Amino acid sequence: MEKAKESQSPAAVKEGDYLALRELFRPHVESFDYFLDKGLNEMLESIRPMEIRDPNSNNTLKVTLEKGHVLPPMRDARSSVPLYPQECRQARITYHGEFKVDVCFEFNEQGAHVRHTFNFGHLPIMLMSKLCHLRGADPHKLVFHGEEATEMGGYFICGGMERLIRILILQKRNYPMGLVRGSFLKRGAGYTDKAVVIRCVQSDQSSVTVKLYYLQNGSARLGFWLGGREFLLPVGIVLKALIDTSDREIFTSLMCCYSDKYGRGKGVVSTQLISERAEIILDEVRNLSLLTRTQCLVHIGQYFRSVMEGFEKHDYEAVAEAVLKDYIFVHLENNHDKFNLLIFMLQKLYALVDQTASPDNADSLQYQEALLPGHLITVFLKDRLQDWLRKSKRLILEEAAKSKGFDLSNVLEVRKFLTKYTTSVGRAIESMIKVGKVNSQSGLDLPQRDGMTIHAERLNFHRYISHFRSVHRGAAFAKMRTTSVRKLLPESWGFLCPVHTPDGEPCGLLNHMASSCRISSFYNSEGALKSCEDIKKSLSAELVRVGMNPMLPKIERTGPPEVLHVHLDGCILGTIASANIEKAVNYLRRLKLAHTVPEDLEVGYVPLSLSGAYPGLYLFTNPARFVRPVRNLLTPSDGKQSIELIGPFEQAFMEIRCPDGGDGGRTKSFPATHEEIHPTAILSVVANLTPWSDHNQSPRNMYQCQMAKQTMGFCGQALKFRTDVKAFHLQTPQTPIVRTATYSKYCMDEFPSGTNAIVAVLSYTGYDMEDAMILNKSAVDRGMFRGHIYQTECIDLSTKNREKVPEIFARSALSRDTSTAIDSDGLPRLGEVVMCSMLKEVHPNEQYYSVYNSLTGAVRPVKLKGTEPAFIDYVAVNGANSKGGLQKANIRLRRVRNPIIGDKFSSRHGQKGVCSQLWPDIDMPFSANTGMRPDLIINPHAFPSRMTIAMLLESMAAKAGALHGKFINATPFANSMSIKEEDKDPCEPKSIVEEMGSMLASYGFNYHGTEFLYSGVFGNEMEYAIFIGPVYYQRLRHMVSDKFQVRTTGRIDQITRQPIGGRKHGGGIRFGEMERDALLAHGSSYLLHDRLHSCSDYHIADVCSFCGSLLTATVIKSDAQKKAKHEMLGLPTVRPPKNFVCQACKTSKGMETVAMPYVFRYLAAELAAMNIKLELRLSNKSEWPASQES
Amino acid sequence: MDPQQPEPVSYLCGDCGAENTLKPGDVIQCRECGYRILYKKRTRRIVQYEAR
Repeated sequence: MEKAKESQSPAAVKEGDYLALRELFRPHVESFDYFLDKGLNEMLESIRPMEIRDPNSNNTLKVTLEKGHVLPPMRDARSSVPLYPQECRQARITYHGEFKVDVCFEFNEQGAHVRHTFNFGHLPIMLMSKLCHLRGADPHKLVFHGEEATEMGGYFICGGMERLIRILILQKRNYPMGLVRGSFLKRGAGYTDKAVVIRCVQSDQSSVTVKLYYLQNGSARLGFWLGGREFLLPVGIVLKALIDTSDREIFTSLMCCYSDKYGRGKGVVSTQLISERAEIILDEVRNLSLLTRTQCLVHIGQYFRSVMEGFEKHDYEAVAEAVLKDYIFVHLENNHDKFNLLIFMLQKLYALVDQTASPDNADSLQYQEALLPGHLITVFLKDRLQDWLRKSKRLILEEAAKSKGFDLSNVLEVRKFLTKYTTSVGRAIESMIKVGKVNSQSGLDLPQRDGMTIHAERLNFHRYISHFRSVHRGAAFAKMRTTSVRKLLPESWGFLCPVHTPDGEPCGLLNHMASSCRISSFYNSEGALKSCEDIKKSLSAELVRVGMNPMLPKIERTGPPEVLHVHLDGCILGTIASANIEKAVNYLRRLKLAHTVPEDLEVGYVPLSLSGAYPGLYLFTNPARFVRPVRNLLTPSDGKQSIELIGPFEQAFMEIRCPDGGDGGRTKSFPATHEEIHPTAILSVVANLTPWSDHNQSPRNMYQCQMAKQTMGFCGQALKFRTDVKAFHLQTPQTPIVRTATYSKYCMDEFPSGTNAIVAVLSYTGYDMEDAMILNKSAVDRGMFRGHIYQTECIDLSTKNREKVPEIFARSALSRDTSTAIDSDGLPRLGEVVMCSMLKEVHPNEQYYSVYNSLTGAVRPVKLKGTEPAFIDYVAVNGANSKGGLQKANIRLRRVRNPIIGDKFSSRHGQKGVCSQLWPDIDMPFSANTGMRPDLIINPHAFPSRMTIAMLLESMAAKAGALHGKFINATPFANSMSIKEEDKDPCEPKSIVEEMGSMLASYGFNYHGTEFLYSGVFGNEMEYAIFIGPVYYQRLRHMVSDKFQVRTTGRIDQITRQPIGGRKHGGGIRFGEMERDALLAHGSSYLLHDRLHSCSDYHIADVCSFCGSLLTATVIKSDAQKKAKHEMLGLPTVRPPKNFVCQACKTSKGMETVAMPYVFRYLAAELAAMNIKLELRLSNKSEWPASQES
Repeated sequence: MDPQQPEPVSYLCGDCGAENTLKPGDVIQCRECGYRILYKKRTRRIVQYEAR
């Protein structure tokens, strides 16, 4: 380590250089930090203590989980040597730390508290989180430990695989949403399709969704899920059970938002129907003869005692209290708050029914938030721990029932049972990350159970970043037939990139966050944990100062349009007069800028409207919200101070203008209050890298986002240490001359992915038709687009062996053959070439490792798969957890992939093409003034219909930049930023063409970037000037060497004797029905016969012409050798029929040979097995023979 | 295992970089630091490549 510190170069990179890059990964890392810092303990606190009652002695034992400890990853359990991620990748193990929980035992309520620490196995640790050894490491330390200098973390290493937890879209927490859904009708008779749904989230991030359904009779039911089924309670019972209240109070609370003086004016949400409905609600309760709170609680308790676990012995009231606490509005602790919220939800429900408020769109980002990795782990871990408690309790009770001597007070005895399942907790988390499956009984209120994690592929840097910035709508929507969820809605402006979504199946479901979009977390900008209590206290104090009436003193209230309710994270704080509300909102925004309230506070002010969204002031401070920075125009701008973080909920009601100096069609009465920082903030990182994407047709930009993620480039500088199953590597990448501001901001030069190729737009030789392109052979020989594929194979003989026979790597001691690549340890020699088995005659060394079976003593050499030679790039042996002997090894193979005909390339503008020729340099056209030959020729027809103007601009700009010796800034929408300065300076804004053209002209080139070329073949000057210039081209990973499929003869299917499919096994390509139809239509029956019969399962069967069976033929005289010889010689047509006899007719007279597909014979056999006889009627005539049957 | 001992193979330690020479049957572990991942050294044999 000392050496590495010394060898720091003077041009050392500062850590701050990669801050912008790290910022992109923050949602992942921060959420896991929260889990370690606070979430774990909060979650343990919220787990209900387990009480065990000994059936023999009636003693009770209370088991409480107290404090959790997660330790940083260590190499061994005892030693203090830290385990680094690199070692985990190499050794294919998990980067995890020990997980312990303090458990408190309390015997018979009053007994002494005994504390024990339980070991729950290991928890995977996210890289760069607070427990990672690399947290805060400078680039030198990172490189020293075999990581990238830019390593951003955010993922887990499980079994050597890098996996990350996908960010999923969830319903916005603690906000009652009015929904209209057909599925609500299925709840039962009398239900309508309208409901108000709220997803309540506790402080430990676990959530319970509560639905308030509207019934046709005007009443409402409160529904929530418990133990796999939905329970529906009349809302009146819940209202009465929550607090001690009277019918009058409920009635007035519901009625308060209605006043007949307003009629149906602006902002009126209630109609006079509400009084009838309130009566129906109260009547429902009265009909059940439930009058007091206690009666309601007992009613609920009776209903739920059987399903609530751990409450079998409690009285009904306690059960009901627990139901109210655990399932109804879990985000609130106070029953008065719950009561107020329920009243509000009823009012919103009735407004929705009376169409005085519009339903909320569940597909818009306004009502959505993100599921973050740390939160998912917290929720899942809670479920696993509860499961562990449940299982342990069952064990202890079984034991107590079995043996009379079992003593509950003996903690050591009890501990024995508790420790039985402990390690399964850690293992469950690990397997969740490994497989992506959340296995739990309750479903945890999550939208899906599998596909929670994805593999962080490092194909190239764009793809890698995109994994961490992607947001998935949920697997359930992928199967949906409607396209409404996939729509691009204006609410996601600035949060989700409109360009960067894949086309095809996941289109619109898999989105990517815009580059400036963040996700709110528990940490403030200084990195300190936020305290919810303090925020709530200070916020309500500030709100009272600007005129809010607190909810608490019960005074006669009114509703909209007179006053608006103020919600803070789903808790109704009070009301504000609608006259004062604008002032209050502005005041809150000023406080946000001054950081006296959390800077990511969402001030969701829904103004009064004519049957629009339900009005109110909704404040959100919770984590997992999308936020983005915009500039606030209200406060006197002094530079940085005016940057405000806004969320999608408030954005819908805000006036944000583009910084192009215009007002976006706003009137004077609604001036813009905010301004975008830069127009490119709406684009994701990858979409931002397209130069001048504002000059391209929009689908081309989408294609580029896809192709950028398939580019062969530098997948990482630490390639030497990587053990990816497959890694692509471009040998000679370049930095683009034309680049956007994003390119340098996110240090893309660390991972370049293309080449500045001199591109001539020209129809030459005809080999550039239909998106084909001609590559200059000499340019390729000089190293353009040369690449390698690195494949790492992890061979673990300890898991592979069958019958428990230990196998080790070893070479046969007898063979002195030095021509093989296998070294004396049984592993290949480093640097050796291993040829494939198909080139065996030329190169005999296709074996690359050999395995020695220690029981039989046999040595089994293993051959290389595939059809091309490979270099042995590195060999690592791993001695961890094996009982001596060489059992585990990583072998990395390198395969050369130089550009050949059929490889795919693309520019950065969605212009992809296939290499059609490697044209010799001498035959390429050359420039009249410089003599330069292009590296690449594309057809002019690629442009008119695709309208990728930016590619033409790039060609001009890169030419000018190359001549001038500087990079050209190609940030899109640049002109909408610069107009402000232009106002002062009256000269016309220059277009890019003007700017670049004059630059080219100043170097003596044509103003428009064209040049006169000479034909390389004939030497004459071409008639027209040709557009030529450098364009940044990417090599895509789709290469013919991985795709070509050829077959003449080869393996056949065992049953049908038809050729097998699949490139891997040397199979053929299916000649299917449609191909058959084509040949039929052409009348080319001979070819059809050849394809479908002769080259497939040609077979000569012996058929008895008497009985018509083709299964009854049996050989009389075995003539095996002759038969074999016949088949070798091709397709025999005649065979002596005398050798066969029909088993049914007992004669060989009727035996005939018939050529047929073998499957037909197989079909006959299958049918015979089903007792169906297949009969052939043989004749030499073309028509059917007359039936001889009776 | 066999009468003639095969020639030992040398490896580099993944942690400290020390060279280790192992014979078949040896425990895979660095003699200096006890690290258990070892990297094989490049072959000393002449290897012939096609420069095309």
